[in-house]
Amino acid sequence: MEHIRLPKVENVKLLDRISHRRRRVGTLYLTATHTIFVESEAGVRNETWVLHSLVCSVDKLAATPSGCPLLIHCKNFQVLHFIISKEQECHDIHLSLQRLSQPESYDELYCFSYKPNVDEKERRQEWDFLDLKADYSRMGLPSSLWKLSPVNQHYKVSDTYPADLFVPESATPPVIVGSSKFRSRGRFPALSYYCKDNHAAICRSSQPLSGFSARCLEDEQMLEAILRSNPCSDFMYVVDTRPKLNAIANRAAGKGYENEDNYSNIKFQFVGIENIHVMRNSQQKMLEVCELRSPSMSDFLEGLESSGWLKHIKAVLDAGIFIAKAVAEEGVSVLVHCSDGWDRTSQVCSVACVLLDPYYRTLRGFMVLIEKDWVSFGHKFSHRCKHVVGDPKEVSPIIDQLLECVWQLMEQFPCAFEFNERFLITIHNHVYSCQFGNFIGNNQRERIELRVHERTHSLWSYLWANRTDYTNPLYRPNHSQTQGLLRASTSPYSFKFWKGLYNRFDHGMHPRQSVEDYLRAIQEETQQLEEQLSSHTQKISELEQEQECSDSCKAAAFDKSPTVWAPGNNLGLANTPQDYTGGFITGSPCQPKGPDSILLPKSMNQISDASFSNGSDQESGIADLSCRSPLSEDSTRDPDSDEAAYSAA
Amino acid sequence: MEKSGSVDSLGSKRSSSRQPSVDSLSSTSTSRSDRSAQAKPPSAMSSDSVSTSAEFSPELRVKPKISAKAIRDSDKEELQLLPNETVQDMAQDVTYFCPFTGALRGTVTVTNYRLFFKSMDRDSTFMLDLPLGVVSRVERIGNASSRDVSYGLVCKDVRNLRFAHKQMEDTLRKSIFEVLMKFAFPVSNGLPIFAFEYGQVFPENGWKVYDALSEYKRQGIPNESWRITKVNDHYELCDTYPSTLAVPVNIPDEELKRVAAFRAKGRIPVLSWIHPESQATVTRCSQPMVGVNGKRSKEDEKYLQAIMDANAQSHKLFIFDARPSVNAAANKMKGGGYESEDAYQNAELVFLDIHNIHVMRESLRKLKEVVYPNIEDSHWLSNLESTHWLEHIKLILAGALRIADKVESGKTSVVVHCSDGWDRTAQLTSLSMLMLDGYYRTIRGFEVLLEKEWLSFGHRFQLRIGHGDKNHTDADRSPVFIQFIDCVWQLTRQFPAAFEFNEYFLVTILDHLYSCLFGTFLCNSEQQRLKEEIPKRTVSLWSYINSQLEDFTNPLYVNYSNHVLFPAVSLRHLELWVGYYIRWNPRMRPQEPIHQRYKELLAKRAELQKRVDELQREVANRSASSASERPGSPTRSITPVQTFV
Repeated sequence: MEHIRLPKVENVKLLDRISHRRRRVGTLYLTATHTIFVESEAGVRNETWVLHSLVCSVDKLAATPSGCPLLIHCKNFQVLHFIISKEQECHDIHLSLQRLSQPESYDELYCFSYKPNVDEKERRQEWDFLDLKADYSRMGLPSSLWKLSPVNQHYKVSDTYPADLFVPESATPPVIVGSSKFRSRGRFPALSYYCKDNHAAICRSSQPLSGFSARCLEDEQMLEAILRSNPCSDFMYVVDTRPKLNAIANRAAGKGYENEDNYSNIKFQFVGIENIHVMRNSQQKMLEVCELRSPSMSDFLEGLESSGWLKHIKAVLDAGIFIAKAVAEEGVSVLVHCSDGWDRTSQVCSVACVLLDPYYRTLRGFMVLIEKDWVSFGHKFSHRCKHVVGDPKEVSPIIDQLLECVWQLMEQFPCAFEFNERFLITIHNHVYSCQFGNFIGNNQRERIELRVHERTHSLWSYLWANRTDYTNPLYRPNHSQTQGLLRASTSPYSFKFWKGLYNRFDHGMHPRQSVEDYLRAIQEETQQLEEQLSSHTQKISELEQEQECSDSCKAAAFDKSPTVWAPGNNLGLANTPQDYTGGFITGSPCQPKGPDSILLPKSMNQISDASFSNGSDQESGIADLSCRSPLSEDSTRDPDSDEAAYSAA
Repeated sequence: MEKSGSVDSLGSKRSSSRQPSVDSLSSTSTSRSDRSAQAKPPSAMSSDSVSTSAEFSPELRVKPKISAKAIRDSDKEELQLLPNETVQDMAQDVTYFCPFTGALRGTVTVTNYRLFFKSMDRDSTFMLDLPLGVVSRVERIGNASSRDVSYGLVCKDVRNLRFAHKQMEDTLRKSIFEVLMKFAFPVSNGLPIFAFEYGQVFPENGWKVYDALSEYKRQGIPNESWRITKVNDHYELCDTYPSTLAVPVNIPDEELKRVAAFRAKGRIPVLSWIHPESQATVTRCSQPMVGVNGKRSKEDEKYLQAIMDANAQSHKLFIFDARPSVNAAANKMKGGGYESEDAYQNAELVFLDIHNIHVMRESLRKLKEVVYPNIEDSHWLSNLESTHWLEHIKLILAGALRIADKVESGKTSVVVHCSDGWDRTAQLTSLSMLMLDGYYRTIRGFEVLLEKEWLSFGHRFQLRIGHGDKNHTDADRSPVFIQFIDCVWQLTRQFPAAFEFNEYFLVTILDHLYSCLFGTFLCNSEQQRLKEEIPKRTVSLWSYINSQLEDFTNPLYVNYSNHVLFPAVSLRHLELWVGYYIRWNPRMRPQEPIHQRYKELLAKRAELQKRVDELQREVANRSASSASERPGSPTRSITPVQTFV
């Protein structure tokens, strides 16, 4: 590719982010899509692949005697610190990467060149995996109160809205069009979620163009129609997710918010979520705290607090809780908007849906939710995630905040979600990676123009195909606490720092043992045991037959028996504790893959790192579960168990 | 100890009164009904991140079956007296100012063991059950002229409780809180601590859990380098040390006495733990009496050399002084100090920068202000930071980690001391032993660890906690042991499958640290406990715990006995122990019974495993019977499968 000035540099050092003394030496390759670092240590074939589209910034630092440092920050919070010995090479890599990581047109994006080994028919089916209409009909729509409106076919009324929208039965096209003219970018009030049990609905729109005194009859009729679609309620909430000051400031620009006097029976409410610029700066500050190499307790806690990040997460969650309670407990419909209705509005609607409806807490349901509230309603993914070169002021971690809100809820309700943390992190990664077409472009219309469905693959079916990796072993769909409305706590100590995402690549910082991995191993094992059970049952019946046979023709049967038993033997061996998941059925007992390997973190090699004995960098938590051979020679308590496991470890 | 059987618990739900109290007043009918569906005590505490406000009234826990029965019958939702517990006073129309739900009127009963408050004010019953041992201070609030008299109870477990009642018309009659004061501070009033009266009998005798000789034997002591000495049999060498000590083989008892003269309070270096392979040891002692003139002791130097020589793997010895170096130097003025590397060849001295008991007391006091009763939303993290509590936890864990690493990876023996060697030293040795030796991560092993490193080696529980003593400003009080348990909790968070016990176990230990129901934490040293005949006259906490192990067992436990735990002491890994410090706050309600789910998953696996085993055995039997005459059958005897529940 023409942008690669230098395809390969040898003798490059990759520094560990925590401890700069730990470094790996290898070769750096630039390809059209990835930066690849291959460790050249004998015996290890350790490769680090980084997608160009995930690169957020490339910085060349001042040269040092040991070489020229190149710092790569990624959108998935990976930070790579290379040292390239020759400055010229570093310069070339720097320039190449800068160009490669900032595609100038959509066509350069990875999704258009990503070609897994899937035939065209399957690829098409990938896109049929999620069907939003099915979700609406799951909600009981269309119904006598809500109808599918064709008004935005061909994106004539609002070019950032989806083509298919649900509106109140009584909303006629003139009312909709009139209302859309009174709303920023024509984003008129449309249905986001409908609770068929009590008819309460969550609708979303952009801000009204009310200025200081403007009114619009159709818009007032539109809200009236929404109110009337909920026969049980005599008022509705209008939630403006902005801080009041921001909304007032918008009035000077001819925009603003609804005047309670002009609309019949609305209760108007600000919830005070800050705008995309505040969020961008806040995350930046938080990431700086994450990157501190050995922060003191006050650096960390005060830095985290002053970044305001958790406060913003709380604000989003609070708004979601307000709406969810209005719908579930009061049975009142809610109209939500912010300025344009594609950032805060998407966040808040989604959080409310997750709290309200257990369906959105399942794997498929959560995908549907993102597809609905974010992809189809025109969250500007390509701008917010900087998929292509553009205005840096448009970039903001709005989707990160949604994922984090859900993660915080998962921490509070460990049994309520079918999916696990890894699922959220994978989605986060691919929102930015551009490997799949789902998040390319800023709205449905753009995606159609880009022919995304014809040219790319879908993340959702990829996730679904690998769903075993993303399943939460603790999930209890039938449990009363996981049903219905989740009553989340928003006290300050309920919000945790999400190290799993923000320090995702700092392996030294990860939990020594993960309960989740452990439980997953147990579930897998349970499955294997079930299989084993049936195979045993079969074996017994075989043996019974054999018995009969052997009664008749005695000696002959025995010689064959070892082969007949072979699987059984393996089972016997495999059942030693150290590899109870590894090889039950296919049993190769010498390679235990059981809890030991799962619970022992990947960074086992770090144990031997002599640097720790100086005790100087405990910040990274270098040491892991280390191991030692059995206590003494005569400790025969567990004859079989330990040795294999430890030597393997 | 606030409990409220709310509306529905009055009816039939057995366990709801075991639930954490006030929160039931607030909301969530869904979660409540669910919780009350699980009748068994272990499920009452549950949940992983948040948990265990469960119920902290020992009488219910001690006799779970009885109480469960009693509570089912709503009329008997009354105070259940323990053996030898007697009612001392009762008062009607007392107001309890609950910081979470507001004022409640009800009846107060004071016994020689507890304060019991019950209110039927609201549509639900509210109960508060507080062992008097928890009370640190009772103060009368307001002036005598007002019609109401108000009392504040400052508790050792981060609570402050406020009560008020009408001015007594009969001026001769004492307020119930005056009565309470008498029984809350029995030591100051010449009364016996309740532990001496409590006569409950448990199936197991917890006093037998620890036997010094068998614990040393488990470690392989005596061996060619270490011997057990009887020199302290009558506590003559050191009255704060246990009678059984392990010392290097080639140092005769006479020399030990000379070493004792050079160590503060005679606390000579003795063995705490020995590495089964490398023979590297963890030894503990007090500071050397170096003084301003830099005094030396040949015997002490020889003694440390002997400790080093007992480990052939290394020609070095690490001395960990838990204090900040400034404090250690300041101690020279008082005759103490630290080992100079000139005098002790091959020894390397490391300061671990852990602060003294006064700093820790102040830190916990600040923490209490931040978490109780209400938490300020806007500055939670910086307020938490300002207490420095997590910073202290971090330093202690980091110190223990360095010790464990030296012993395990460096194969080097270490000597640990602080000033007197009974606070920070106990924290460090016991935490590093917990990391090094999986035995201590079992329930019984942990009990042994506490009995050995804390109780027998003379952590001054009586002084640090102030059992039954009204002198709440005593500068000897300090949360050293709480800090240790907090550190253990942090370890269990990082290694959820490495500990046999659960969070409830740790909370229970801390609750009974104060309750004075059991004799375990009474007195300051082994000698005192012997003199007071504590094992004869009181019940051990371990009797109670070991009689219902299931409640305290971690379902995820895997016996990693031969693994060494090296925790990450990074700040990102340390958390405030919400389940202990903020458990009184109804906003911190257990969200989901996650333990329950763990158990289900594990039980299903175990069940299947059992069936597979049975079938396997059957397969084996059948094949054995059909192949009886074939020698050397390939069928390997079935290895018993380890199940983890």
